[in-house]
Parts: sequence; C-alpha cells; structure tokens
Amino acid sequence: MNVLDIRNLTIEIDSDNGPIRLVDGLSLQIAEGEIHTLVGESGSGKSLLAKAILGFINPRWRVTADRLWWRHYDLLALTAEQRRTITGRDMAMIFQNPSSYLDPNSSIGEQLQECIPTEDIKGFYFRRRAELKIRAERLLHRVGIKDHDTVMRAYPFELSDGVAQKVSIAMAIAHNPKLLIADEPTNAMEPQTRGQIYRLLSKLNASQGMSVLMITQDLSAIIPESKRISMVYCGQLMEVGTPQQLVEQPLHPYTEAMLSMSLTNHQTPAKSRLPTLTGSIPTMANLPIGCRLGPRCGYARRACIDTPRLRKLKQHQFACHYPLIEVKNYD
Amino acid sequence: MTEPLLQIQQVSKSYYHKTGWFRGRRSLALEPISFDLQAGETLAIMGETGSGKSTLAKLIAGVEVPSSGQFLLRGELLEPYNYQQRCRHIRMIFQDSLSSLNQQTTIGQQLLEPLRFNTLLTLAEQQQKVLTTLRQVGLLPEHYNFYPHMLSSGQQQRVCIARAIILEPQIIVADEALVALDPSIRAQIINLILDLQQDMGISFILISHSAEIVKHVADKILIMHHGKLVEFGTTEALLSNPQQPLTRLLLGIE
Repeated sequence: MNVLDIRNLTIEIDSDNGPIRLVDGLSLQIAEGEIHTLVGESGSGKSLLAKAILGFINPRWRVTADRLWWRHYDLLALTAEQRRTITGRDMAMIFQNPSSYLDPNSSIGEQLQECIPTEDIKGFYFRRRAELKIRAERLLHRVGIKDHDTVMRAYPFELSDGVAQKVSIAMAIAHNPKLLIADEPTNAMEPQTRGQIYRLLSKLNASQGMSVLMITQDLSAIIPESKRISMVYCGQLMEVGTPQQLVEQPLHPYTEAMLSMSLTNHQTPAKSRLPTLTGSIPTMANLPIGCRLGPRCGYARRACIDTPRLRKLKQHQFACHYPLIEVKNYD
Repeated sequence: MTEPLLQIQQVSKSYYHKTGWFRGRRSLALEPISFDLQAGETLAIMGETGSGKSTLAKLIAGVEVPSSGQFLLRGELLEPYNYQQRCRHIRMIFQDSLSSLNQQTTIGQQLLEPLRFNTLLTLAEQQQKVLTTLRQVGLLPEHYNFYPHMLSSGQQQRVCIARAIILEPQIIVADEALVALDPSIRAQIINLILDLQQDMGISFILISHSAEIVKHVADKILIMHHGKLVEFGTTEALLSNPQQPLTRLLLGIE
C-alpha cells in the first residue's frame, strides 16, 4: 500500500515575467517500508518537493496537486494546524550539514531530550528526568553511538560530521516516524562515513518498517537497498524505475548521461575525457519550454518543445518522446 | 630519470598551543615528509579527516610556512614568505568557489589582479591575456564584466581555474575542488583539468577523498594517516598491489 501518494505536484512562484514553475507535475508514490531515492542535480526542485510534503511552505509559493495524500489524509485539504499534527507525528527530516542544524548553544543531551515525546512518562520530576535520560541514551545506542556519556555532554562543534549526522538521525527517530526524509545527508562526507550512515538508514528501515525518502545528487551514491529511483531534472520527472532497470536499460537520455558520467563503471580508461551533457543547468529564471532537458540533450528533436507525458512500461516510467530503445506496448 | 619538478625534503609542520602564561604544547600536524613530483603528472593525496592532507597542500602552496624542511622547484629553493616567487609557479584552487571569489568586483578585475602584481605587461596586454584565459577555460569574453553571483557553480569553478592558470604556473594544488559540484558539471571540470594538463603540461596536486575521481585522473597516489605518509606509489601499483589496509579502505578495494 502506498503511504505517500503524490500526483502532478506543481509549485509556482510569481516573478516580473509571469509565474515560474519550479516543480512541474511531479508524481511520487512511496509504499510502506520502502526506500525511495530521488536523484537530481542542484536546482531540480528535489528539496522543494521535500518541503512541500512536510508543509514548510513559503507563502509566495503556489502549491497545487491532483493528489497529495499521506495514508488516508488529503494533506492539501487540511488546515495548517491539523496538517502540522499529522506531519509532526508521522514524518521527520534530516539535513545536509548536520552540525549547522544543531543548536550550537546547548549540549547534545539537552537537544536530544527535548525531542523525546513525554506523554507516556509518569512519576515525579526526578523520576521523569531519569527516564528521559535513559531514553536519550537508548536512542543514541540505536543509531550506533556507544559512548553515550561523552556525546551527550558534547556541543555540536565538538562532533565529527558522521557523529553529528547520527545524532540528527537519533532526534528524527525519537518519536518513531513512519517516513524519514533525508535531504542529501551524506553530501561532501567521506566514503566510509557515508557507508555508515547508509547502513544505519537501511537498518532502521528494515527493523522498524520506516519508509525513507532519500534525496541525493549523484546516481553513483545511492543506498544499495533502495527499491525505486526517481530521476528529476529542473523540476520535471525524467524516469522512475528500480535500480536494476535504470542501470541495465535506461530509457531516458538523462539517466544514460548520468550513468556514463559517474566514474564507478570501469569501462572508461583512466585519464580519458568523460562524456558530459553540454552546457550548464538552466537557472530558474530562464527555463526552456517543453522538455527541460531539451537544449542539453543529444537526442532532442522538434517534438521536444512539448512536455512529454510520463509513460509506463512494466513499472518502469519515463517521460521522453524518443526513448533510447523502441518501446511498443506502453500505456 | 629526469630531474623532478618539485622536491619536497623533510617538510614538517607543528602548531604551538598555549596552555598557560609560560607553558605551551607543541602538536605535530605533519611529520617530516619527502617525495618528488614530476612535470606534467597528477598526484592525488588521500587520507581521512585530520590526516594532515590539507596542511600539506597549504604548505606546498605557500599559505603556511613549514616548521622544518624545504621545497626545491627544479633545484631552485622556494623561499617561505616570498609570495611573488611562489605564486608564479604554484597556484591553488579551493573547494567552495563562490566564497573564494571576491563578491564585490567583476571577474575581469579579479583576473587582472595577479597579472598586475606579478608581471610587467601593459594594461592592454593584461586585458588580452584575461580574455584568452577566459576562452581557455570555456567561458566567453562577455563574462569579463560579470560578478561572481551571476554565474552558475560550474562557471564559478571555471573562473577559479582561470585565476589559477593565468600566471602559467607549473603546479596547481586543488583542495577538494571537485566535491561540491553537480555530477554533470564535475565531469566537465575533470575534462577541463585533463585538457589543460595536456595543453600546458601543468602538474596537479589533487586532495580528494573520492576514490573514483582519484582512480580516473591521478598518476600517483599518496596516502596519509595521522600526519604520516603511509603509502606512495603509482596508481596502477596501488590499485593492483596495495600494501596497507588503509589504502584498500580509501581506494575501495575489497
């Protein structure tokens, strides 16, 4: 069953030259207990999507969608307060630079205890305090920090990147969310630390059935356990499929380009020129019409000035007029 | 064996921490290290956080002064504090391109500055040089009058590379210069670096923790741990026959 169901989400802002569509008709379904990876370069609207799901919406944005459902709640029909109750209970988010999202003025222990729900802790003041401390320690153990005393007493600047990210994961899972949104949690981290964070996320996913929406920049840096990958470019959905489908038979030129650019495939001889997309990512003010990859795409033809529909071939969705292999029976 | 381009001889760096009015403690960030860099080759320095790889990069670029040891460039001593001599041979590129550019002046002005301070060219010649360098890194002459915030992140990184190559140095030190870029832009910048190396014969010293990039561009790899050199060799040798467990870990060899 899909816990999160988004159809045709569009985010627009007004500018001097008319409205700009930052996110153009994105659809996303996440099943219960699934790791879904969203891959997109900067300016692709992937963080905006996360914010729209959580309801961190700037009043200047116009968010419209055919459907934005979380389990059986229609999030767009609720009042802000009702929505906050639901998202606060069921969802959590972790960010890119963990040490900058922690409060520099208070210790990790204080911040962690603040996140723990206190409704079911009974007893007098001292009893409650002791219980809270035990729960905080248990949380740190769950994210793989053994030395809880030192970390609880430490201030954010004293922690390394990996430990700070683990602490922010601990805060996020304090109230057992059903969905964890991870916005580039391991960007600019060392590969070893990245591996630790990924293993932790997939362990939490397996043991608690927590769905994870993982947002990342690089197709070569995805969690191996992720069920499905969505490729986003400039706010448009390019291709959706399982990692195996995308790697073995990409249908969209963008996926093919991203795969050939990642250095993990060993066909490229050392010191050779890498295949690239020409040009640079368009800015929000000058987005091309139609398929936004058009000006950078090697396969673009006249029809690409119309936005392609998302088409489906056995659970493998793509939005391209000229897919890389001849596709006959799609719907 | 030809003469090496840069010889690093017993270079070390230690910092002095005051612990009281008269007492202090000396901590060694980089233990004495020696190696040679050949002309036109790319050396990658890898290591965990706090292993002293950025300290080594800063020492080579002359940002910091070594506590002991010396650098010889083609047999000629590179003097500490002599920035004019140093910047004509060795230049540096940083991780965050936007914050390493001056926000308040145009790209053209920023590229003119190194020429004004280090060469005897006339203003017209300097401007001509800036325009050719801009074209060399894949930008247009119009970018001369742009401010840094008007460019995309890939173009900003190109400006940083232009600023590094405008004095025609022999060595460029890049400290994590490719980490923060988008994948498609990163591939373009790697291509640019490889092209420049071929055309101008520049040696690169690349600090990176990405095994893929290092495997692709580096000729030699130097592995560091806690301020010490752990392993040093050609990329093929280290990939096929790594001696240390840390090397296997960093290069992702099972």
